[in-house]
Amino acid sequence: MFGRNRKHDQPRPDENFEPYEEFSGIPMPVYWIAIALAIWGALMLYDTGKDVTLAQDDRVEDRAVQVSADLGEGGNLFVANCSTCHQPDGQGLRGAVPPLAGSEVLGGGPDIVARILLRGIDGPIRVRGEDFDGHMPSFASALNDDEIARIASYVTLTFSEAGTKLDPSRVAKLRDELADAGSFEGGAELAKLATSMSPQPLYPVPKMADAMTATVRDLVFVGRGDVWACASCHGDLGQGGENTPRLAGQSADYLAKQLNDFRDGTRNNESMQIVAAGLSDAETASLGTYFSTLRAPSNASPNLSADLARGEQLALRGDWALGVPACFTCHGSSGFGVAPDFPALSAQHAPYTATQLATWAGGDRQNSPLGLMRQISQALSSEDRRAVADYLASLPPVPAGQTASAEEATSNVN
Amino acid sequence: MNRYLPLSILALAILAFATLMLVIAPGMQIDARSVPAGLRDYTEAQQRGRDVYVAMGCVYCHSQQPRSPDQAPDGERGWGRPSVASDYVFDAPHQLGTMRTGPDLLNVGARLPSEDWHLTHLYQPRAIFDWSIMPAYPFLFEHKQQAETDDTIVILPPAYAPEDGVVVAGPDALDLVAYLQALDRTYPTPTDGLRDDGYASGPSADASSVEEGDG
Ligand code: HEC
Ligand code: HEC
Ligand code: HEC
Ligand code: HEC
Repeated sequence: MFGRNRKHDQPRPDENFEPYEEFSGIPMPVYWIAIALAIWGALMLYDTGKDVTLAQDDRVEDRAVQVSADLGEGGNLFVANCSTCHQPDGQGLRGAVPPLAGSEVLGGGPDIVARILLRGIDGPIRVRGEDFDGHMPSFASALNDDEIARIASYVTLTFSEAGTKLDPSRVAKLRDELADAGSFEGGAELAKLATSMSPQPLYPVPKMADAMTATVRDLVFVGRGDVWACASCHGDLGQGGENTPRLAGQSADYLAKQLNDFRDGTRNNESMQIVAAGLSDAETASLGTYFSTLRAPSNASPNLSADLARGEQLALRGDWALGVPACFTCHGSSGFGVAPDFPALSAQHAPYTATQLATWAGGDRQNSPLGLMRQISQALSSEDRRAVADYLASLPPVPAGQTASAEEATSNVN
Repeated sequence: MNRYLPLSILALAILAFATLMLVIAPGMQIDARSVPAGLRDYTEAQQRGRDVYVAMGCVYCHSQQPRSPDQAPDGERGWGRPSVASDYVFDAPHQLGTMRTGPDLLNVGARLPSEDWHLTHLYQPRAIFDWSIMPAYPFLFEHKQQAETDDTIVILPPAYAPEDGVVVAGPDALDLVAYLQALDRTYPTPTDGLRDDGYASGPSADASSVEEGDG
C-alpha cells in the first residue's frame, strides 16, 4: 500500500517459489500517528490525574466542615457552629442566648465546655447575673472529637482566663462516659462541675407532652388497615433518611399543615398522599404535636459534595445579587425554625432539602404561603441548592421545645 | 509459516500483558481495600432475598451504582453518595446493572426502610404510583381467606385489595424485602475508597453542567 511499487518482470513463476513479504520500512506517517497517540494518552492520564486529586481533596474537605476565615481552625469551627447564636464576639443575645465572654461557666476550663457540647443544656441558667431559659443543642452527632477539642480550647482561650488546650483523646473518653447522659439540667447541674458559677435557678420538673394517645401510637408504630406506619419510613425517632425527611423537633403546626396539604392534594407525594388520605384534622394535629416533641440525634450529613462555604453564606447572609434573603431571617437562628409557620431546617437530610427546593423551583410543590419559597428557590442555581442543603445538614438538630426561644433569638438578630 | 515461534511468543506475551493489566493488577488494587466499618455481611434471609432479586431480573431495570454529582444528580434524588469498590465486598455476583428504567437501588433501604411499603409495592406498584411501569409480582404472595398468626398481611388500598380475604406475603417476598432493607451504603466513603474520579471538576467550574433532577 504505502510501499514503493517495484515491478518484477518475471515471465513465468518458479515452481519452488515460496511467497514472502519483501521488506519495506514502516512509512513515516504511521510513526507520527503512533507518537501522537502516545502523547495524547499521556496527556489524558495527566489530565484525569488532576481530576482525581481534585475529587479526593473534595472528599477530605467534606469530612471536615470548615469555613474560610483566619482565626485558626478552632476559630473557624466556632464561627461556623456557635456564632449564629452566641455571636462572633461571644456576647450572646440579650434574653435569649447567654454570653460566652466573661461567663462563669468557662471558669471550669475546656473540659466543661466539651461536656456541654456533648450533652447540650436545657432549662434555666444564670450567666453574668442574667437569667436565660433556652436550649443549647448537643453537638455530639455533628462534630467529631478533634473538632470539639479545638472549639473547647478556642472558646476558653479567647473568652476566659481559664483557657488551656484540650486533647481530642480526652473528648473521646468523655464521649463514651456521657453517651446517654442527656442534656444538662440547666445551670443547677452545671454548677456542680464549675465552682466558679454563682448560685443557679432550680431546674423545674419537666412536663411531658400528652400527645401520645393510643390512636397516635398506633398510627406511628403499627399503621392502620390501609396505611403504613409512620415510623416504618420516618424511623422510630422521626429521624428520617436520605429523601425521607426528619420530623423530630419540627414545629407542630407546620407538620399538621403539611399532612393536611398532602390530604387535600395541595402538596404532591404518592406515598404521603396515601398515608394522609384517611387522617382527620384532630389526628394530623396530634401527630404534629407528637413529632414536634421527639428528640433524635442528627443522622444527616452533607453528602451532596457541594460547597459548604457557599451554603453557609446563603443561610446566614443570603445573596442580594440574586435577590435571596438569608434563610435564617425566616427559619430562625441556626435554622431551628420559628413556630408556627417557618419550619426547622437544621439537621434535615440534604437530599430532601435539595429536592424540596427543586420541586418549588419547578412548580411541583406550591403550598408555601404567599409563594415565598417558590421565588427563593427559583433564584438559586442547582449548585446553590445543593450547597445550602449540605450546609443545613451539617447543623445540629433542633432540641425539642426550641421554637419559642428561636423566635426571640431571631427578633433580636434582625 | 516459517516464523511461528516468534509469532506465538508475541501472541502469548500480549495475552499475558492484558491479563496482568486488566485482571491481576485491578484484582490486587481491589483486594487491598478493607471492609468499610459501616457495612455488614448479608444475613441468611437477606442472601436468599438477594437470590430472588437475581432470579427476578430486577437488574434489568434497576442499577446499583449511584453516580458522582458531576455525572448525574443522584445525590439530590436521595439515591446516595457515589459508590466505591468496597461497597460491594459482599456482593457476588454484583448487581451493578446498566439500565435505569427505575431508580437506583443501592441505598433504597436508607430512604425507604418500610417493610410494609415494599410488600405493597412488590404486590402491585400501581397501588402507590398509578403511572408505574414496574411489573407486579403477585406470585410471591398468597391469597388467604383468613390470615394465620405469623402471617404478614399486605396493606392494600381498597381498589387493589381482594374482594374477600387477605393477601399475605410469601417467604420469597419477605426475603426479598429483607434484602432491599439491607441496601444501605450511606456510611461515609472509606478513606481508601476506590472509584473513578475522572469526572470531577472544581466546585465552581461545573455550576451549569449539573442538570436538574427529574425525579
Ligand atoms: C441554637 C443556638 C446555640 C448554638 C448554635 C450554640 N449555643 Fe451555646 N448556648 C445556647 C443557649 C440558649 C444557651 C443557654 C442554655 C440554657 O438556657 O439552658 C447556651 C449555653 C452555652 C454555654 C454555657 C453558658 C455560657 O454562656 O457560658 C456554653 C459554654 C456554650 N453555650 C457554648 C457553645 C459553643 C462552644 C457553641 C458552638 C459549638 C455553642 N454554644 C452553640 C445556644 C446556642
Ligand atoms: C412510605 C414511607 C412513608 C410513610 C409510611 C410515611 N411517610 Fe411521611 N414522608 C415520606 C416521604 C418520602 C416524604 C417526603 C415527601 C416529599 O418529598 O415531598 C414525607 C413527608 C412527610 C411530611 C412533610 C415533612 C416536611 O418537612 O415538610 C410529614 C409531616 C410527614 N411525612 C408525616 C408523616 C406521618 C405523620 C406519617 C404516618 C401517619 C408518615 N409521614 C408516614 C415517607 C413516608
Ligand atoms: C421570607 C421567608 C423565608 C425565607 C427567607 C426562606 N424561607 Fe424557606 N420557608 C418559608 C416558609 C413560610 C416555609 C413553609 C412552607 C409551607 O408551609 O409549606 C418554608 C419552607 C422551607 C423548606 C421546606 C421544609 C420542609 O421540611 O419541607 C425548605 C427546605 C426551605 N424553606 C429552605 C429555605 C432555604 C434554603 C432558604 C434560604 C435560601 C429559605 N428557605 C429562606 C419561608 C422562608
Ligand atoms: C420493567 C422494569 C422494572 C423491573 C423489572 C423492576 N422494576 Fe422496580 N421500578 C421500576 C420503575 C419504573 C420504578 C419507579 C416507579 C415505582 O416506584 O413503581 C421502580 C421502583 C422500584 C422501587 C422503589 C424505588 C424508589 O426509590 O421509589 C423498588 C424498591 C423497586 N422498584 C424494586 C424492584 C425489585 C425488587 C424488582 C425485582 C423483583 C424490580 N423492582 C423490578 C421498574 C422496574
